[in-house]
Amino acid sequence: MIKSIVLARKDVSSNFYSWLGILIFSVFFLAAGILFALVVVKYVGISMEAARNGYQNVEGLIMTHFIFGSLFADLGLVVLCLVPLVSMRAFSEERKQQTMELLFTYPLSDFDIVVGKFLSLIWFFALLIFPTLGYLYLFQWLGGSFEWGPVLAGYLGLLLLGAAFLSLGLFISSLTANQVISALLTFGLLVLLWSLEGLMGLANDPWARWLQQISPLTHFREFTFGIVDLGHVAYFVFFCLYFLFMSLRVIEARNWKG
Amino acid sequence: MAEMAEGRKTRVAEPEAPVMVRMECVSKKFGSLRALDQVSFSLRKGEVLGFLGPNGAGKTTAMRILSGYFPPTEGRVWIGGDELFKNSEQAKKRIGYVPEALNFYGDMRVSEFLDFVAQIKSVPSKIRHAHIEEKIERCGLPEVGHRLIGQLSRGFRQRLGLAQALIGDPDVLLLDEPTGGLDPKQIKEIRHLIRELGRERTLILSTHILPEVSMVCDKVMIFNQGRVVATGTADELESGLRRERYEIFVVMGDRHRKDDALAIFHALPGVDGVTVLEEQGDRVSFSLFAPRGTELRPVISKLFVEQNIPLLEIRASKLSLEQIFLKIVLDEQMAQQEP
Repeated sequence: MIKSIVLARKDVSSNFYSWLGILIFSVFFLAAGILFALVVVKYVGISMEAARNGYQNVEGLIMTHFIFGSLFADLGLVVLCLVPLVSMRAFSEERKQQTMELLFTYPLSDFDIVVGKFLSLIWFFALLIFPTLGYLYLFQWLGGSFEWGPVLAGYLGLLLLGAAFLSLGLFISSLTANQVISALLTFGLLVLLWSLEGLMGLANDPWARWLQQISPLTHFREFTFGIVDLGHVAYFVFFCLYFLFMSLRVIEARNWKG
Repeated sequence: MAEMAEGRKTRVAEPEAPVMVRMECVSKKFGSLRALDQVSFSLRKGEVLGFLGPNGAGKTTAMRILSGYFPPTEGRVWIGGDELFKNSEQAKKRIGYVPEALNFYGDMRVSEFLDFVAQIKSVPSKIRHAHIEEKIERCGLPEVGHRLIGQLSRGFRQRLGLAQALIGDPDVLLLDEPTGGLDPKQIKEIRHLIRELGRERTLILSTHILPEVSMVCDKVMIFNQGRVVATGTADELESGLRRERYEIFVVMGDRHRKDDALAIFHALPGVDGVTVLEEQGDRVSFSLFAPRGTELRPVISKLFVEQNIPLLEIRASKLSLEQIFLKIVLDEQMAQQEP
C-alpha cells in the first residue's frame, strides 16, 4: 500500500509537470468559475424576486437545493468531458514510454501497480475539484447564504462520480498504448452510460428500469440534491472495484501469454 | 588486446559459494515462436556470466524472464532461495535490472527518480538520502543530478540505468546490452564500471559484441535461435574448437601469382577453407584452416621460395572468440538445413 502511494505521488507530480495536466486543471477551474458565476446571477435574481414579493427568508435549505443542485449536475458534465483526458495517460503513457518494463521488474505486485495508478487519478481529481470550494467561500463572503451540508454532499457525489469514471478510464488505458484512442473510447463509454438514464427514462419496461440503474447519473442525481444514500455510495464503490479488478486482469495478462 | 588480457579474470567463484541464480528447463513461447528453448544454468555468488548471441537469439527474452518481467512458458527460476514467480516480491528485491531500451521517466529529475526507486525498493528512509548519493557518486552522475532524464545523453542514461539497478544493493545484477549505442569512450567507462561491480556481485550481461564477453565475463553462454549452443569459460570455448583446426594467415606480394599460391594451398594435406581475404595493390592476403597438430608454416614458406613467389607474411592465429562464435552459429544453421 505504501508503494502504491509512492507510485501515485510520482504520477500526480508528473501530471503537474506536463502542459496537459496544467491545462486540464485550468480548464476545470475556469469552467467551474463560470458555472458558479451563473449560480450567483441566479441567486441574485431569485432573492430580488423574493424580496419584491415580500418573502423574507427564502435562503437556506430550499435555496441551496435549488441553486446548487443544477450546479453539481453541470459540474458532473464537465467531469465527464475531462476525465478521459486525465485517465488516458495512466497506463498508456507507461506503455508508450516503455516504462512498464521497469515497474514490472521492481519489487511491486500487480495489485500495487493498479491501486497506485487509481490512487494517482483520484488524487489529481481531488486536486481539481477541491479548489472550487474557494468559489463557495467567495460567495459566502459576498453575502450569499446557503447550507454547507448539502453542498458537501454534492462534493462527495462529484468525487464518487469522478472515481467511477476514472476507474473505467484506467481500465481502457490499460488496453492501449495510444492515448487518443484511450481518451476517445473512455469518453464514448461514459457518454453512453450517462445517457442511459435519460434514454431509458422514456421507455416503460422493466428492462429499461434495470438499465437505468446502471447509469451513474441515476445515482449521482441524489447527491446533487444534497442527499447521501448508502445505496448510491455502494453503487459507485462497486463500479470502481469492478473496473479496478478488470484492469488488474489486463495487467496480469502478460503472465498468461505464450 | 592488452585490455583484454588485463580484463579477463581468472578468478573463479569458490565452489562453496551459494547458488544465486538458477534456471531450470526454461522455455518461452510467443504464439508459435519459441523464443527460448529448454535453457538451464546456475550461477554462484560472485560469478559473471555473459549471454552472447546474434540479435533475436533469445538473450533479451532470457534477461526479461530473469528480471521477473514475464514468466516462462515452462520451467522454473530461482533467485537466491526464492522462486522468482512464486515468491516474486522477495526475489525481485535481490535483482537489479538495466533494460536495453533505457526508458525511464523523461519528466523526472535524476535524483527525484532515484528517490522514487529507493522508496519502491523499500530503502529505509533514514539512510535513503545517503544511499542515493552513494549510487550517484558511484555511477558518475553527480553533475546531472538535477537534470531532467529526458534531456540526458545515452551515456548518462546508461549510468542512470546502473544507478537505479544498484539502489537497494541487490545481489544479482542483470544488464541487457550495457554498451549498446555508446561511443568508444563511454563504452570503456561503462566496462570499467561493470568490471568493478562484477567483483562484488553476481552479474549477468547480454551482448552481441564479443570482446566484451572475454573482457568481463567468467562464463559465456552462446545463444542461437532460442537455444544455448555452447557454454563455458572463454578459454574453454576457444580451446575446445582449436582442438580441431587452427587458422593461418598468408600475405604475398605479387597478385599475378595468386593462382599459383592457391594451387599450393589446395595441394597441402588436410587444408580447407582457403579464402582470399583482401587484395590491395600487389598484396594479396589469404586465410586457411589447417588440422590441429600439423605445422604447415615451414612447408608453405618453403614452397613459396621454391616457386619464387614473394612471401610477405605468414602467421598462425588463435581463433578469436568472434570466429568461435560465428563458427558455432554457422554450424548450427548448416546442421539445421541438412535434414
